[in-house]
Order: sequence, then structure tokens, then C-alpha cells
Amino acid sequence: MIFREVEDRDLIAKARRGHVDAYNVLVSRWEKRVFNYLLRLVGHREDALDLSQDVFLKAYQNLKKLEDPAKFPGWLFRIAHNEAYSLLRKNRPEGELAAEPKTGGETSGRMFPMELTLAVQSALSRLSDDQREAVLLKVYQGFKFEEMAEILSCPVSTVKSRLYTALDLLKQTLAPVQMGGAE
Amino acid sequence: MNCSSEDLKAYFLGELSSRDKAPVEDHVHACQSCREELDRLKLTQTALLALEEEEVPQRIAFVSDKVFEPRWYQTIWRSGPAMGFASAVILAAAILVHAFGVQGFARPAGAPPVTATVDTAQIEQRIEREVNARLDAVVQKAVSDAQSKQAAEFAKVLNASEARFESRRKADLATIQQAAEYYEKQMNRWLVASNDTRAGQ
Repeated sequence: MIFREVEDRDLIAKARRGHVDAYNVLVSRWEKRVFNYLLRLVGHREDALDLSQDVFLKAYQNLKKLEDPAKFPGWLFRIAHNEAYSLLRKNRPEGELAAEPKTGGETSGRMFPMELTLAVQSALSRLSDDQREAVLLKVYQGFKFEEMAEILSCPVSTVKSRLYTALDLLKQTLAPVQMGGAE
Repeated sequence: MNCSSEDLKAYFLGELSSRDKAPVEDHVHACQSCREELDRLKLTQTALLALEEEEVPQRIAFVSDKVFEPRWYQTIWRSGPAMGFASAVILAAAILVHAFGVQGFARPAGAPPVTATVDTAQIEQRIEREVNARLDAVVQKAVSDAQSKQAAEFAKVLNASEARFESRRKADLATIQQAAEYYEKQMNRWLVASNDTRAGQ
């Protein structure tokens, strides 16, 4: 992990000096995580791919503004968050973004054939965008509360509130699956 | 410690410091409902992590993307020889500006202040005169060098020709001398033979 951080830092330094190849290596390291984060957030593969392109383009263009290269992951996901929410706001009417539970988007039913993954996908889609994003950043990306607060531009208390509520909802939604899986 | 859902979740998510962790662990050890709640959280996390990451449908590549190509000044900046040339040009320009600046701004004490207007025509004429003078000097030197080189080459060719001629002349003289000696010996033989014939008669 330490080596990886050092390598990322070196790549960032090189990319800042205009080495496109170094940035390409950085992209290849992070594209899968960013793509999956966006896919689970916006629920549409093509949109997630377009957003991923935009995220890495903006990251490259603003790389010199990144003060601490060690904070690259959080900074990158901050860009991804902004891009995703720009799209979500554009695609949905005002006020609908915050807390409408989704009944399943394109990702449910088609992308994951196994029953458990379907159930998880469905459960995630029932969360609000904010709650789902909190789960994505914590459970799938492993960010700390402080890092999540920076990515989401909100207080740590808000992060905790969203995440704890989401966990309670997921716990209820996935309980039958867990029990079924245990039987 | 009482049952606290928030503390339990923070503990579960690894957000508690080692100091805050111990009392929660003690409580969970002693509290059946909190233990069950912790198990449910673990099961939920296990279920969430069953969702595997998808591969990116197509590679996000930027090598061929125009927007990622270095700008012209970045290319120059990274080119050593070009940077050297650029530095030399800038240095030359700085020296030129300095030279004209010193001449333009230096004035004797008590002299009226020079107006700030720049006579570009005068500067152009001065530059033109300077350039012409230097150009003439360079051309003159080049012509002189060429003439010297040509004269030297001509002298060299002449010397070589003279040496060849002299060598040939000596060879011819030697040949003539040998022929003369041969004819002289033949002539003597004929004279001796002729005298012997006369004496016999």
C-alpha cells in the first residue's frame, strides 16, 4: 500500500510535468473503481462510462491544483461526485434528487444474474442518492468519514447520518436474503 | 456503557480510535442484542460485497486524445537544443536592448531630461547601419579568405607541375645522353673496321 502510494505520487508528479503516459498509468489504476462508483450511483452503464471519461479529463486538466498528491483518491472521487450529481440534476426534476427511493433502474435485473447480487442491487437502488453514495464511498471504496466529508462537501455528522440510515435500510431490505442464504 | 447504535456502527465501520474501541468491545461482549446487531451489520456488509465490480466496457485511453497532447510551449520546454537556442535568442535580445537602453538613457549631469518618446525610425536606422557594417565586414573577410585559399591552391598546383616537368626533363636528358654514347661507340667500331680493311688492301 505504501509502495502504491509512492508510485501514485510519482505518476502524479510526472503527469503534472506533461507526461501523458504517466497519467495513462494512473487512469488504468483508477478507472475501474471510478467507473463502478459512477455506475452504482447513476445506474446506467453508458452514462457511467461518459462520466468516467469526463472525470479523468477534468482531473488531468486540474492536476496542478491538487496540493497534496497523497489526497489524490479523495480528490478524484470529489470530481466524480460532482460530475455524477451534475448529470443526476439534469436528468431529474428539481427536488426529486434528494430522497426519492428508486424502484430499480437499468442495473437491476439485467446486469447481475445471480440472485444475491440482484437483491443487493435492488436494495442499493432503493436508497436515496446521498445514502447510496455514502455506502459506495465507505463500503466499496473504504474512505474515512473525514475524507467522505471532503468528497461530499458536507459535515462529518451529515456523512454519519446518511450512512447509518442507509445501513439500517439495507439491513432490513437484505435481511430475507441473508436469512435465505443462511438456510 | 449503554447500548448505542451509533457507537456500534462506528465500531463496525472501523472509525473508532483504539481508546474508544475498548469500551464498545466490552459492551458487545456483555450485551446480547448489540452482539446480534453487530452480526446483522456484518451480514449486510457481506451481502453488499457480493456485488462484484464490473470491468470497464472500454478502456479509458487518452494517449491519442488531442487534448492531452503537450502544448507547443511544453514541447519546446522539454526540448534541450531548442531551449538552448531560445535561451541564446533571449540573451542576445537582452544584450541588444541593454546596449540601446544604456545609450538611450545615459545623459550627462545637468542635461535636460530626455522625453519618454521612442524614435523607432532612428533605432531602425541605427540597427540597419550596424547590420550593414557587420555584414560588409563579414563579406570582406569571406572574400579575402577565399582569395587566399585560391592563391595557395594555385601555388601548390604550379609547384607540383614544375616538379613533374623537371623530373621529365632530367629523364629525357638521360635518355639522349645514353643514345649519344651508343651511337658514338658504334661510330668508333665502324671507323676501326674501316681502317683495318684499308690496311689489308
